[in-house]
Amino acid sequence: MPREVIMPALGMAQETGKVLRWWRSEGEEVRQGEPLLEVETDKANVEIESPASGVLARVLAREGDEVPVGQVIGWILLPGEEPSELPAAPVSAPAAAAAAVSTEEVLGPPTVAEPAPVRPRASPKARRLAREMGVDLRSVQGSGPGGAILASDLQRLTEAAPASELPHVWKLMAERTARAWSTVPHFFLQRDVRADRLVAWHQALRQRLQVELTYTDLLVKLVATALRAHPEVNARWEDGRIRRLPDVNVGIAVATEHGLVVPVVHRADELPVERIAQRRAELVDRARAGRLRPEDVDGGTFTISNLGMYGVDRFLAVVNAPQAAILSVGRLADRVVAEEGRPVVRPTLSLGLACDHRVLDGARAARFLETLAAWVEEPLALLDFGR
Amino acid sequence: MSTPSAAARGPAVGTVREITLAQAIREALAEEMRRDPRVFLLGEDVAEAGTPFKVLSGLVDEFGPQRVIDTPISEAGFVGIAVGAAMTGMRPVVDIMFGDFLTLAMDQIVNQAAKVHYMSGGKLKVPLVIRTTLGATRRSAAQHSQSLHAWFAHIPGLKVAVPSTPYDAKGLLKTAIRDDNPVLFFEDKMMYQVKGPVPEEEYTIPFGVADVKRPGRDVTLVATSSMVYVALEAAELLEQDGISAEVVDPRTIFPLDVETLVRSARKTGRVVVVDEGHRRYGVTAELAATIAEEAFYDLEAPVRRVGALDVPVPFSPVLEDQTVPTPEQVASVARELCGRN
Repeated sequence: MPREVIMPALGMAQETGKVLRWWRSEGEEVRQGEPLLEVETDKANVEIESPASGVLARVLAREGDEVPVGQVIGWILLPGEEPSELPAAPVSAPAAAAAAVSTEEVLGPPTVAEPAPVRPRASPKARRLAREMGVDLRSVQGSGPGGAILASDLQRLTEAAPASELPHVWKLMAERTARAWSTVPHFFLQRDVRADRLVAWHQALRQRLQVELTYTDLLVKLVATALRAHPEVNARWEDGRIRRLPDVNVGIAVATEHGLVVPVVHRADELPVERIAQRRAELVDRARAGRLRPEDVDGGTFTISNLGMYGVDRFLAVVNAPQAAILSVGRLADRVVAEEGRPVVRPTLSLGLACDHRVLDGARAARFLETLAAWVEEPLALLDFGR
Repeated sequence: MSTPSAAARGPAVGTVREITLAQAIREALAEEMRRDPRVFLLGEDVAEAGTPFKVLSGLVDEFGPQRVIDTPISEAGFVGIAVGAAMTGMRPVVDIMFGDFLTLAMDQIVNQAAKVHYMSGGKLKVPLVIRTTLGATRRSAAQHSQSLHAWFAHIPGLKVAVPSTPYDAKGLLKTAIRDDNPVLFFEDKMMYQVKGPVPEEEYTIPFGVADVKRPGRDVTLVATSSMVYVALEAAELLEQDGISAEVVDPRTIFPLDVETLVRSARKTGRVVVVDEGHRRYGVTAELAATIAEEAFYDLEAPVRRVGALDVPVPFSPVLEDQTVPTPEQVASVARELCGRN
């Protein structure tokens, strides 16, 4: 079916648009996405891309015409389509001059011919499903009365595309997150922290160490120490009881080609930052190579997920059951913060904490986050924490 | 008219008998009259005659002519008496022999009974029940065959029950008598001899609760009063074509159990509404619109209405039978919705 070119609504209150220039004339080929015409609105001149590839078969609004938004201003014949498939020309316009519809004719509704319906026949349910599935109804074959597309036609569509076999890691991730999300009563805390001292620490340490040092390494150190200070967080729900765990083993969520894995830095609270960085580098390499050993992933008591490197400002994660909580770390970036009543630009980052409400309550989780935030903002405070 | 086994909704305990709808109505009235001395009956031929349909036979023997009162042919008069009695604390049950005669009492029902509670600022109540009939195919011609229940469902202040089975009729009538609002209670005159299971134990059925008379997957047939049997027969026909039809009986058209109707519509995605009133501006229109509003994005096809033809009911049996919904007609519309015609 030929595709219509429509005067688009480019602003909320825009009622009409003026055709400034057609970049293609009738009979010329055009590709989808190429500039087709230029439109002037009360705010700006905008290039309109072609909605389809084919031949610009008919132009209904001439350069200089002002046209209501939503109005058909041209038709594109798709490959293989005949000009006879175009809807009848407007009654008021002589066939030869069908392209030229004056402003008055366009604005006067009775004189404009009904364009052929491009909305495919579909049931309301099918329409809703198509929207939810992101399916273009024009691509669906209808089986209902009069060729109407029904919900079952869309369901068949999803069945028809066989799901590719999933990698083992992905299956595990799907299974575990689904179980955690459906069985663990989640709650979430969020806190923005100043990171200027963290940045300073990172810079100072990086120059001294032999290994590559990431912010994640520093966070592993801070989190591990905070877990030692708050043993109620280093715990798990086990058969109706809370079990505190003797070791602090911090997992790091690592995205791999095959899915998410969480290798563990064991007894991270006892390791100097350099050892943490070494261990982390080793684990990430193994993870990416798909060569993690069972001992690399076993025994985690807490997880850190850092999406800062992907430009994510803040997010919340699914608890890595049976652990009690997971820390989600956003992007470290300069942001405007209020300080003593004035806007100041500082590096900050956002910490999110997702918790199992059977193990933790809001206050306990908040106190842990408080300690962690204080140490991110002043890592020197670690020096005061003795065991 | 067949008795659907799916219509059995008796409690699990106690004795369940098969009785006719007329017997069920009579039982409900007798039980309520024993229970509450304020309940009394009045209407044309209600005492010794027990109505032309013999629904009330024997009640005058138990309760006497003071509580089962024969009136002259004067609907406006005796409905007015009943409205006044209800306002002053009695609980009258009026018998209007043919629903068509409600026209004579419209002022008493619509302008008085429905309004008094509101216009008295809640000081007065009208606990009145008007039992009457609907339905064609009795060869009674145009003035004795109408189904006018839609008129009353349109009026705020009135409740309207349209039972389909003996069990529903008894439970709903007892609720109607205990309700402090005026209730129009429509019985299909062709249904009085329909039999169905009714427990001996006391029970009532709340208003505004629909009943799924037959569960199904592919299409919902919403049907009122005797049209429930038409829908059940249509469901049998559809089953032969591999179409699974669900039959939902609203039981009261006001209050209306929107939730159950919509739930069924969401499940099947296709709905036919069947009612014996005229299709034009009828009960089917209201139900169809309500379903379309609430379940639009779960519908696979337009909601379709099947009602009586928009003509006065003919006296000729051949013609009369053409005017009311039939199982074949309902099945045909349902097949169309399923794309199987």
